[in-house]
Amino acid sequence: MLPADLREKLERTIETADHPRELAVDVMMALQEHYGHLSDEAVAEAAQLLDMSEVEIDELATFYTFIYREPVGRYVIHVCDSLICWMDGYEKLRDHLARKLNIAMGGTTDDGLFTLLPVCCVGYCDRSPAMLVNRRVHGNLTPEKVDAILDGLRESARSADETSSG
Amino acid sequence: MMSATPKKEYPQVLLANRHPDRIATLEEYRSSGGYRALADTLGAGPQDSLKETIAAAVLLGRGGAAFPAGVKLKTVADDAPFPRFLICNADEMEPGTFKDRVLIHADPHQLIEGMALTAYMASAEKGIIFIRPEYESAARILEREVGIAREAGYLGENILDSGFSFDIDVHRSGGRYICGEVTAQINALMGKRPNPAQPPPYPTEKGLWGLPTVVNNVETLCCVPHILRNGADWFQSLALTESGAGTKLYGVSGRVNRPGCFELPIGIPLSEIIEDYAGGMRDGRRFKACLPGGASTGFLPVEHYHIAMDFDSLKSVGNRLGTAAIMVFDETDCLVAATWNLLEFFARESCGWCTPCREGFPYLRDLLWRIENGQGEPEMIGALRELCRDMSYAYCAFSPGGIAPVESLLDLYEEEIVAHIEGKGCPFRKRS
Amino acid sequence: MPTLTIDNRRIEVPEGTKVIEAAEALGIMIPRFCYHRALGSVGACRVCAVKIVDGTRKGVQMSCMLDVEEGMVVSTDDPEAVAMRRHVIEWLMLHHPHDCPVCDEGGHCLLQDMTVSGGHGLRRYLGNKRTHLDQYLGPRIQHEMNRCIQCYRCVRYYREFSGYRDLGVTGIGNRVYFGREREGTLENPFSGNLIDICPTGVFTDKPARYFGRRWDLQRGPSVCIHCSLGCSVTVGARYREVARVEARYAKAVNGHFICDRGRWGFPYTNEASRPRAARVDGEATTVGEACAAARNRLLHVAETAGSEAVACLGSERAGLETLKAVAGICRANGWADPLFWLERRARENVAAAVSLLGDDLVLSLRELEAADCVLVFGADPLGEAPMAALALRQARRQGAPVFVFDPRPVELPLDFHHVPLAIEDLPECIRSLVGAAGDRETARGADPTVRSFTDQLAEPSVPPPPEAVAALRTSRRPAVVCGTDVTDAAAIGLAADFAALMKAQGRRAGLFYLMPGANGFGAALAGTEAASLEELLPRIEGGEIRALVAVEADPLGLYPDRGRIEAAMRKLDLLVVLDYLDTDSAAAADVFLPSTTVFETGGTWINQEGRIQIVRGAHRGGIPVSQTGGGGHPPRVFMEEVPGGQAAASGQTLTRLSPAEVKGASEWVRLPPDTDKQSGTRAVLPDPSALRFAPERTALSGAAGDEAMLTVIAVDRTFGTEVLSSRSPWLSAEETAPTVWMHPEEAGRVPLSDGDLLEIDAGGGSLVLPVKIVENMARRTLVIPRHRDAAWQRLGATRLRIERDCIRKAQPVGENAPVKESPPR
Repeated sequence: MLPADLREKLERTIETADHPRELAVDVMMALQEHYGHLSDEAVAEAAQLLDMSEVEIDELATFYTFIYREPVGRYVIHVCDSLICWMDGYEKLRDHLARKLNIAMGGTTDDGLFTLLPVCCVGYCDRSPAMLVNRRVHGNLTPEKVDAILDGLRESARSADETSSG
Repeated sequence: MMSATPKKEYPQVLLANRHPDRIATLEEYRSSGGYRALADTLGAGPQDSLKETIAAAVLLGRGGAAFPAGVKLKTVADDAPFPRFLICNADEMEPGTFKDRVLIHADPHQLIEGMALTAYMASAEKGIIFIRPEYESAARILEREVGIAREAGYLGENILDSGFSFDIDVHRSGGRYICGEVTAQINALMGKRPNPAQPPPYPTEKGLWGLPTVVNNVETLCCVPHILRNGADWFQSLALTESGAGTKLYGVSGRVNRPGCFELPIGIPLSEIIEDYAGGMRDGRRFKACLPGGASTGFLPVEHYHIAMDFDSLKSVGNRLGTAAIMVFDETDCLVAATWNLLEFFARESCGWCTPCREGFPYLRDLLWRIENGQGEPEMIGALRELCRDMSYAYCAFSPGGIAPVESLLDLYEEEIVAHIEGKGCPFRKRS
Repeated sequence: MPTLTIDNRRIEVPEGTKVIEAAEALGIMIPRFCYHRALGSVGACRVCAVKIVDGTRKGVQMSCMLDVEEGMVVSTDDPEAVAMRRHVIEWLMLHHPHDCPVCDEGGHCLLQDMTVSGGHGLRRYLGNKRTHLDQYLGPRIQHEMNRCIQCYRCVRYYREFSGYRDLGVTGIGNRVYFGREREGTLENPFSGNLIDICPTGVFTDKPARYFGRRWDLQRGPSVCIHCSLGCSVTVGARYREVARVEARYAKAVNGHFICDRGRWGFPYTNEASRPRAARVDGEATTVGEACAAARNRLLHVAETAGSEAVACLGSERAGLETLKAVAGICRANGWADPLFWLERRARENVAAAVSLLGDDLVLSLRELEAADCVLVFGADPLGEAPMAALALRQARRQGAPVFVFDPRPVELPLDFHHVPLAIEDLPECIRSLVGAAGDRETARGADPTVRSFTDQLAEPSVPPPPEAVAALRTSRRPAVVCGTDVTDAAAIGLAADFAALMKAQGRRAGLFYLMPGANGFGAALAGTEAASLEELLPRIEGGEIRALVAVEADPLGLYPDRGRIEAAMRKLDLLVVLDYLDTDSAAAADVFLPSTTVFETGGTWINQEGRIQIVRGAHRGGIPVSQTGGGGHPPRVFMEEVPGGQAAASGQTLTRLSPAEVKGASEWVRLPPDTDKQSGTRAVLPDPSALRFAPERTALSGAAGDEAMLTVIAVDRTFGTEVLSSRSPWLSAEETAPTVWMHPEEAGRVPLSDGDLLEIDAGGGSLVLPVKIVENMARRTLVIPRHRDAAWQRLGATRLRIERDCIRKAQPVGENAPVKESPPR
């Protein structure tokens, strides 16, 4: 169930729009933010909020790169595999990540922290190879830098959990 | 192949306020002459003469298609219905291209002023910046600076007491290359699947919600205040070639020492960009080829190393300036493999609407993968050519763009392909 | 009108014609997948490539996307264009499975045709085939996504053309997927057209799967008899069994499509329970013996009680030959006047509609699509004549506003204005619109009848809906649609007056009636003097009528006062029934004679616009091999007799059992000489001018203002109420379980909540149904579907007024035994 405050916030935004459909991506993103991914329940919520059918939502959801219709980890790592990053060591970077996280491309770690996905050119060709973590970019990557990023993410997940449980 | 002449200094227009570590503030933009064009032109004279100035400046669209911005503005009929829309296409997703990101991070108010002026010329009252989700930081900057501009009276109701009202929303895409295509972008904004729609009607006639809509690239819009402030002749004079006009942001990446985005005159020799600005070739290797304007342009071979980088001279050698994203290869790079990688991109990003694009790119990718990996057969070269020929009859410009590197590979580097097939594998891999 | 040259042949076509259409006009069928005449051009598949030799855009171009130009020169067989088209086929076959031998589309597959004719026989692509998971889409449509060639026809048809939203395209690139959000039956009552429209085997007819190739079927052009529209269909039968029904293109009626009721309504003809043998007093016998027995007993009744003691009843589902035979046998034997209707209101309504229609106003279904403003009076198009709803959607897509004045919770696949008025208020509502539209100046210049009619119009007690008045003001092509099922003769007459008035104002106004049954129009023409069973019933009850011959009619099962009709039937000395259904009347018959269905002997039907359509049988009939063969292989023991082959057309059987010779039986149905055997012709309609603008319709009629009274209407629904299709096991899943619809205000007065049981004590007994509370319907109205499980036959009439205290909340303990046990299926 969608929390009442989020629902109200979305309803208010939709009310002000000339055409509710124009907010489809924003609503899907907001629901994804809440559910972790765009679950079936989220699709139904979005459909109801926007007065669209569920499949009309799914038509959009399954089109876009950054809307996840399946469960993903807390940190979604998109590794750029387009030309410049690929020339500058995408494959090594991918293999390093896969080894470190013990998952293949498309997989999610057992602890639910990381999902590894490829992505098309992210527009950081001047800082190749690059990857996005939850849409935040990291460039000029080396194995050491990647390890530091992963450690930092694990650390922030841990401290966030402690804060919420404590 | 080092250039003998010393590095020249060229005027910085679009990146004049660029700082290495932060964005230019409203104050900095203003003190560099920013928003003066807006203050001077809003309500001061007929919009037609402004449009004339843009047309006379020969401002060609900087998003890759090089459509004259002035002509586009004039296609919005005087009696066209209202409201009208201006969309800033910040969905920069052409591989190798990052200039719009640099531009927004350098001087966002330049874009805001460019949009306000363009909207004024088109009598548009609503502006939308359509930005790719990977540029979240840029999106936040724009949202914040739009607010600041609104506070300062450069956006919103009755801008600078001119009677003209215009405001800007930032729309984050869900992320797909095809959303950069104008008609697909309009569909995306309407909450529809972002398939392109073949004109007519053109967006300037029936675009967003069936209303007149002008769509311009970030860089194109950023040129507008400067042109209106300094005139068409000034803009033309910035270029080094007769037919060119203005400066251009060249994004250089690949096998160079200092990849980056450089504002240089239209028509500057390629060799000068690479050597004087991008730090020359990496590891002392030799320039083999480059893609001069993103993934949708063909390979530019070494014999054109000194070519003037403008629309016409690239056209004359069967290539395109595209987004001026220069991706550089050296003699150790396998262009078969590089093309395969580009096809991976196009196959993944094809929207799936028309057959040639949807089925053709995976087909091309499969053939090149086999050739690269020792499964090539001589008849595959003919198959590649046939595929490219018929993929040019696709629905939108995606497919003709995507086959450009393949076609140039076939035209210029056929012996490299043959070497793969005859050698049952990639000749470059043994060396690396 | 530009003239262009295609393959060295010149043709002149209207401006705006696409090259593909111009070529088709020359008989050159350029290959196409995404292009469809009903759906238009989208340029997705790229298989219609041609070479433009001369024109603004030269070179290889898509013929579906290119408008013709003066002087254009087109080559369809240019090598570049041919190579491109061949390449498209190769691309589409990259992932298409090689399952043609087990695919039901095989043999009538557009992709198969194009692959073979394009010469693509060798697979060059070395990669794997992409595969998809299929979805369960309900009992009627099989989904097989691996076969998909992404032409987008299905979603374009489903969403844009027919207006339903539960089918879509998901994914991107070469993984696009056409399906539902999740498995489940498609919500669209026109979903069967996906089967016809898909150029390959993604959507196939599930019940017909693995039964036979199209060329194995005995196929024949036919007309759908599940409502009054008379859509064209093609019937395919095999092994004495009708296997499938497909839409057949009819320019003036249904275009390319049909509804699901029409596509899957046919199983009644194959039913194991279908009575195949003649019976006398419950004992099976030959048709000859039974005819002789019937003849002797009828003679006996006539001799002992007089020839007027025999009555013969037909019905609106029978063909014109049968109805004419009913009239003929009555005349020849001096029996009572022929009967074609159970209720008087039905008879009067259809008679009024037929007499008022007129050639000047009548619209075909196609013409209805071209209206620029549509007013629907007392009709639920989706329930009564589904394809009319699809036509209204096309009008709406072209911009026509649609107004529906009806007490029911009408639903349509389009946005429309619904005015849920009480049915008694309908004449007053139409009258108010006539007054509003009747700009007196125009009317004054018109015919004196029109003038005096508009002058005499009573001041309306209710103002006309302002949106409708505004829309009418600018309308050039207004259409009036009027139902005859729940309405009365006053509304039907006013609808015609309204259309005629707008015609008199110089607009291209049209009139479109919906009628009960497939041949209501024919029944009205077969004998205008004919009365209804309701009007005859006192004479049965009084013992005057002693014998009844029911021909393809089921008085016992369908008369809306079950108790009364049962008692009446018991008073008869003789009940003879001719039918192909195992009706209650058939079961009660003293003499039963099996008759044939439309699929076997065909016949002539007249649709609601007066279009005469001739149907020929598609197969000989008989008990299906699947029932006689015990599930085994088609029989290898051959007999001279066709099992169950005794049945004959009712008209023929009637002449055999008639005591007096029936003359000129072969000439009963005379058709205009220019009747087109494929799509029929419109009957020459009687001149209605004397009946239009009748002064009595200017006066105020009694409105439904009486708070103490409720109106009950028993209505037709898309699925589950029409006599023949409601027997289809493939449609029963889609039926709405019978409920009584009530407005919340009415429910609150009882009081009742959604789902509570309501007991209605009406004229014919009491019935108990769950309540469905809906906002979008009239107050003071109860709506009940004529569903076989609804016991609506206890109401006493299909439209009646009852005292408010006749309804009460019922406790769920009591069992609501249906009138008839539904046969196990």
